[in-house]
Amino acid sequence: MTLLIATLAGALGALCRYLLSGVVQERTQSDLPLGTLTVNLAGAFLLGIVGGTDNAQSAATLASVGFLGGFTTFSTWMIETIRLGIPPLRSRSLANLALTLLAGIALAAAGYSLAN
Amino acid sequence: MPSPASPRQQPRTRFGRSGLDAGPLLAVLGGGLVGSAARAGIGHYLPAASGAFPVATLVVNLTGSFLLGYYLARREQAATARWSVQFWAIGMLGSFTTFSAFSFDVFHLLEAKRPLLAGGYVAASIVGGLVLALAGQRLGSSIR
Repeated sequence: MTLLIATLAGALGALCRYLLSGVVQERTQSDLPLGTLTVNLAGAFLLGIVGGTDNAQSAATLASVGFLGGFTTFSTWMIETIRLGIPPLRSRSLANLALTLLAGIALAAAGYSLAN
Repeated sequence: MPSPASPRQQPRTRFGRSGLDAGPLLAVLGGGLVGSAARAGIGHYLPAASGAFPVATLVVNLTGSFLLGYYLARREQAATARWSVQFWAIGMLGSFTTFSAFSFDVFHLLEAKRPLLAGGYVAASIVGGLVLALAGQRLGSSIR
């Protein structure tokens, strides 16, 4: 049951990621892949909120964690970073790496303190 | 002047005049089911205690980065099915790997006053992810 909820929620998250990152990517002009950045940072913030909320084993928590797992993506972040150049050598690539990493941790912390 | 698109060509944007196309959406959803099930399964068998090293997340993120590099390089070499990218790359490998759990894990380790573990986790994820994605790309483009 646990795995089923996580699976269904994750698939829904993937669909929302596809739609949202596509819309952001189409409507913005930037050297950085803003579609992936948007879903990853939004997802980090929301998981911070979920993590800061008490009922750890509830079905709602399980579904939220599963959804946000599918909504955000690590592999696309890696590939898009490489496409900008090998990180230490290219500033745009390094920017995509550092910005996503630092903002993601900061937003997870912000969501957590907001919920607490 | 842009050349007229042939009828067999895929539309360049995901939103055509007729609205949302169901094909790519179903492919993302189907791939998302497979990827999320695999991630949940690995998380189930490699549970991390609170404040401990997040092994399961590291495993899915590193494996997924390698496979995505491999898939995208293979795609340059050989023809793929319609909506293949939506199924494998965006749906399956996109949802198999996770950034939200990664950032929360890092925050959680820092909050638990384990900065060395947090730093090691970040380094292993990012250096490992980049190196494995490149290795996957290289392997994928070396196969004929």
